[in-house]
Amino acid sequence: MPGALINIENIKTYFPQKKTMTGKVTAWIRAVDGVTLKIFTGECLGLVGESGCGKSTLGRTILKLAPLKSGNIRFNGKEIQHLDDRGFQPFRPKMQMVFQDPRASLNPKMTVLQILSEALAICPEIDKKQYAQRATELMNMVDLRPEHLFRYPHEFSGGQQQRICIARALATQPEFLVFDEATSALDVSVQAQIINLMADLQKRLNLTYLFISHDLSIMEHICQRVAVMYAGRVMEIQDADALFASPRHPYTKALRDAVPIADPTKKDGMAILKGEVPSLLNPPGGCRFHPRCPHATHRCKNEVPEADLVKSGNWVCCHYHKTLWKKGFLENERNK
Amino acid sequence: MSSKTQQEPILSVQDLTVSFEGSRGVVRILEGIDFTLYPGEVLALVGETGCGKSVTAKSLLDLIPQLSRQRTGRVSFDGTDLLKLSNRELIRVRGRSIAMIFQNPQSSINPVFTLGEQIFRLIRMYLQDAIDQICKQQNLKQKTAIGLIAKEKLVEVGLTETDRLLKSYAHEVSGGMAQRYKIALALLSSPEILIADEATSALDVTVQAHILKLLKKMSQKTGTAILFITHDLGIAAQICDRVAVMYSGRIVEIGNTMDIFQKPLHPYTRGLLEAVPRLGEKDPLRFISGMIPDLSNPPQGCRFHPRCDHRMAICRTQKPIYKNKNGDHAVACHLYNAKAAG
Repeated sequence: MPGALINIENIKTYFPQKKTMTGKVTAWIRAVDGVTLKIFTGECLGLVGESGCGKSTLGRTILKLAPLKSGNIRFNGKEIQHLDDRGFQPFRPKMQMVFQDPRASLNPKMTVLQILSEALAICPEIDKKQYAQRATELMNMVDLRPEHLFRYPHEFSGGQQQRICIARALATQPEFLVFDEATSALDVSVQAQIINLMADLQKRLNLTYLFISHDLSIMEHICQRVAVMYAGRVMEIQDADALFASPRHPYTKALRDAVPIADPTKKDGMAILKGEVPSLLNPPGGCRFHPRCPHATHRCKNEVPEADLVKSGNWVCCHYHKTLWKKGFLENERNK
Repeated sequence: MSSKTQQEPILSVQDLTVSFEGSRGVVRILEGIDFTLYPGEVLALVGETGCGKSVTAKSLLDLIPQLSRQRTGRVSFDGTDLLKLSNRELIRVRGRSIAMIFQNPQSSINPVFTLGEQIFRLIRMYLQDAIDQICKQQNLKQKTAIGLIAKEKLVEVGLTETDRLLKSYAHEVSGGMAQRYKIALALLSSPEILIADEATSALDVTVQAHILKLLKKMSQKTGTAILFITHDLGIAAQICDRVAVMYSGRIVEIGNTMDIFQKPLHPYTRGLLEAVPRLGEKDPLRFISGMIPDLSNPPQGCRFHPRCDHRMAICRTQKPIYKNKNGDHAVACHLYNAKAAG
């Protein structure tokens, strides 16, 4: 197995919710609450979860776009969590991000060439005279025509705009890319094009991805491993093909069973998970999932489950995953 | 479903065309929309962004900007043509006979009134008989009776802690709760038709599963027909009886859910189905090449022909007509007309 490009240990990102008159914070939103994981060089790690579970915050924290409260972040073996903005600058070109809404993340007053040049400007090794040539290469990379360099973002469709965003992220020759719901705003046929492009670029340029999405069904098409997040914690990480065929955590099973499948012969789908997503201000103790888990016991209420290694790079946070697995509670009911 | 076709349709849309006049001339958003809706059925209207699915739903109740729009065709509902009604007459239909729920529940609730105030008002409008009855039977004041009905209706859609909910404002409840509340409001008047415009697209899968099951159950219980507008083919497969596929302002194929998913006829439907990512598959996704046409300058003939793998000479010049228009599975494509002709 190749080395870990990103190695994060027990990171916590809290946002202040309430302050007293003196400015003392009395309540914190615990968006990310103790996440430990590794992203290996050349892999695409998926991150799924419901809205408000902290998956975007985790992605932003790794790129130091969100305030880190505690924990370690290592990029290529170097600790980056303590760096200030200036100290982090040499790392910026190496870590890039693509956002959900391409229209909102492109400056409407700039042409595509200006947008790409702006990204190129943070790479000291590229000469200004090379910008146009480099921009042309980037356009070819994302299957856009070089003559489009002089157009403005509004002249493109949503899928093309997302391609420009990807080109901009690639401009600095990054090693690590975070896609934050990058395909969620697109139609299925366009989404398919963008996902194929992303997979193709990853192979060609040996990139490492963190792919954040709430859509489980696209995970298997692009990711090698998938992490499932719930209420600020990672519940399990498994190889993508194993995760949904044979989930180890009851939450993953619930999430998978809720997806409507585009096949009318499998009608008994969409099993229902009771309860609501917990408040991150005051999350439940023990296992975060216990109030909604059909298999929860007294132990789940009081004891935080430790990560249990299933195999290399795959682990589960559940007290009972072995018993549940043996008894077949997590099997796919649609296949029965 | 032969039993359904024998039934009287509750809504029948014939040759509905909607166009807008803008600075670039007349833009035909919808071109000859034809479909029928039967009592108690769930019909899905699927298609990509900009294909006109929302405009179809909104033009039924004339919720589109009225100054520049032109509509032709016929929308028969309950013996009247909805297109001929004035605004004043339409008010009696909107919400009462044809209710609608929208994509973003929080923004379609009035933020300055509590959820309670809004549901009480509608109960007073629609359920005066029930209020009087409860007042008489249990010797209660009107206000208490309304409160009781409100709680009952909220419990019906699976909401708990109704006391707290009635005192809350829109921003204080979660998306799933807000959408359930909107469904409760929409069903207060026991409408004949419920139009759900991307009603679950903004929600998480687990919440979405709740809402979809609820809608399906409600439609079976009350016989309300649902027109479900969605871009998610999974939803269409799971809860809808029939599916209509739209492309660039036209319905290109309409049929039973089973037929559409297992024997899709139109090349666009096939392309759309192949582009859907599925759990348990790893192959590269297929996609439809090209882009959605510009509606101000749509392609001649079949609007899909520039992107179609099976295009023929006739596709460029002639608009395809529906084959098997009144049957179970209709399709507008020259491939099938040519075959039928020999």
